[in-house]
Amino acid sequence: MQKAAILEKCGFFIKIGRYKMEKTGAEIILQTLKEEGTEVIFGYPGANTLPIHDRLMESPIKHYLMRHEQAAAHAADGYARATGKVGVCLSTSGPGATNMVTGIATAYMDSTPLIALTGQVTTNLLGSDAFQETDIIGITMPITKHSFLLNDVEEVESTLKEAFELARSGRPGPVLVDMPRDVLTASCKLDSKSNNGQRSKKQHTSPKEKLEQIKQIATYLNRAERPIIIIGGGVKLGKACTQLSELIKKGRIPFVTTMMGIGSIDSSNGFNLGFIGTHGNELANSTIHHSDFILAVGTRFSDRSTSNIEEFAPLATIAQIDIDPTSIGKNIKVDLQLISDIREAITEMIPLVEKKERPEWFQRINKERELSEKRGSREGCGPAGKLISMIQDVMPEKTTAVADVGLNQIWTVRSWQPKTPRGLITCGGMGTMGFSVPAAIGAKIGVQNQEVVAFSGDGGFYMNIQELATISYYNLPVKIVVFNNGNLGMIRQLQDLFYGARFNACELGNKVDMVMVAKGFGIDAGRVSVNDPESGIEKMRKTDGPYLLEVMVDPDTYVFPLIPPGLSNIEMIYRRSD
Amino acid sequence: MNGEEHLISMLVNNKPGVLSRVAGVFGRLGYNIESLCVAATTDPEISKITLVSKSNSDSTERTKKQLEKLVDVVEVTELGQIQSVQRELILIGIKLQQEHRAEIARAVDIFGCKIISMKSDYYILEVVDNKEKIETVLNYFAPLGIEEIARTGVIALQKDK
Repeated sequence: MQKAAILEKCGFFIKIGRYKMEKTGAEIILQTLKEEGTEVIFGYPGANTLPIHDRLMESPIKHYLMRHEQAAAHAADGYARATGKVGVCLSTSGPGATNMVTGIATAYMDSTPLIALTGQVTTNLLGSDAFQETDIIGITMPITKHSFLLNDVEEVESTLKEAFELARSGRPGPVLVDMPRDVLTASCKLDSKSNNGQRSKKQHTSPKEKLEQIKQIATYLNRAERPIIIIGGGVKLGKACTQLSELIKKGRIPFVTTMMGIGSIDSSNGFNLGFIGTHGNELANSTIHHSDFILAVGTRFSDRSTSNIEEFAPLATIAQIDIDPTSIGKNIKVDLQLISDIREAITEMIPLVEKKERPEWFQRINKERELSEKRGSREGCGPAGKLISMIQDVMPEKTTAVADVGLNQIWTVRSWQPKTPRGLITCGGMGTMGFSVPAAIGAKIGVQNQEVVAFSGDGGFYMNIQELATISYYNLPVKIVVFNNGNLGMIRQLQDLFYGARFNACELGNKVDMVMVAKGFGIDAGRVSVNDPESGIEKMRKTDGPYLLEVMVDPDTYVFPLIPPGLSNIEMIYRRSD
Repeated sequence: MNGEEHLISMLVNNKPGVLSRVAGVFGRLGYNIESLCVAATTDPEISKITLVSKSNSDSTERTKKQLEKLVDVVEVTELGQIQSVQRELILIGIKLQQEHRAEIARAVDIFGCKIISMKSDYYILEVVDNKEKIETVLNYFAPLGIEEIARTGVIALQKDK
């Protein structure tokens, strides 16, 4: 058999000559991606995705070769969060696909629009336990908005279009497309099959009902003596920040955010009381507790936000607005509900909301603010928080911060004041250590005219340390700040406070020279103490390319206040001795 | 799993993998599916799934929300006893003993069973009714020598639409 015939039989052959007027599955995928606005793909190749990588050479889409597929998914996630576009990641079948699982789950928990493309063995080998065959559809069912297996080259275009539509519409989320190699190499005419696969969902609320519900919520809001708004991540996703800000100013309604909602509205407008939940601001938590009406927008009331749900906002009537009907009343029973695009709902609500001064309510809030400041709750982030503020002060206004998970995350989200809704990126729902460095890569590629600073702890940093090679290879000017306390700090704090200071499996040690590691990857680096960081910050600021700043932190530096597991939002611990 | 039985009726897209996604929701929340019936509706692109599962009411609400999240699920309805008509089909294989012949004939008559296969020493009976009636029939025939049963699980329709 001739070489070409052998290659064709094996599903490797890309039919260009004989099928001039036709396109291969791989070409259709790339063309459809381009039509859907994809500019970059974060990926890692394997034999089963080579048909795509081969055709990428002629495509305007730029492929960034990451050093691990998990990082590819995080980078696509970071890109999507920083730009508002759909992120795209690509891996081969088997281990490539399974490596992406953590990244996909992270995107799912925070509703990031993401397309995960996975290679797959040829269709005739499916179910034969072939080399690098994995049922990635089955594995990712609970962590994707939807997934597709491409069975036929004729359905590639319509499926890809539907995948994009699903990823960015309604409540956004990751959609996986599994691509058998023979489908990538088979050919057909583009546009040969119309997109008839659109799924239809039952319409939950009629426009008339919706308007009635908006009026009802506005009436409750106007009548309330102690109203508050909870802003969730859905407000940014629904692009409703400006409208909500207008409503807040008109009604003079104080607001709190969830961790994912931080930055939705400029925090300097005077109505922001901070973020709620386990590691949230005391003032935000106590105000929720005393409010008589809550308007929750784009939040699912995660257990991290509410703490003990039985004792959450005991005096309040609760109204919830969300585009996702399944998020309404899922975790907290609500009195009024509105399933709607948030921007539309708030726009319609603004004229119905009365201008009100609410002097008594603000007097009470100010009193609570003074009390909480006396208790020292603002000092909870200590020198690490001050360092983060110092970095923000020297960076350009629109710098994007990307936080990892652990103590560093709480320090960052409580100290960094984002100037734009996308100015602070962190993974909330999944709590994925190792997120920040690859997500910062994606963010930097997405917003090339803006500075990006990744904050991490030593634990999270080690989890995707290989991505320093990606940063170095592409010379991406990402700044990385690693708080090194030689420990898994959050675990150490929990063991200290709730396990009788019996420390186990939390010490990472200080035998690794991070500065030397970074330099080994080709990245300039320096080390400072958290109490004396000026010179390091200055050097980082002045470095044109990537830079790693290792910040040495005492392992007993914790984060306060916090709500112990099982307690209500007003039962906070302020110091180690409480 | 303790709890009450909940009857859930779903309209879903008639596509590969949909049943697996639906069943997966119950599996990952730790609920057993007591019975499950699936078939296409008058629209060949839409299938109806009728499913019985045991859980408490709050958990059922959460399960319904997770089901509604699935892209291929068009509609989820929980059906109660009063608002719906429910039927199940059961086949009962009975080893025939001479001394029971008359009693079996009487029971077939009383319960409205259909004999759909009859050999000299083995009967197969068919019963179509609601779940309670079927349990009664099974309890009655049990001492008479049931060899094998096959049941479809509950199908149901809302009385008012």
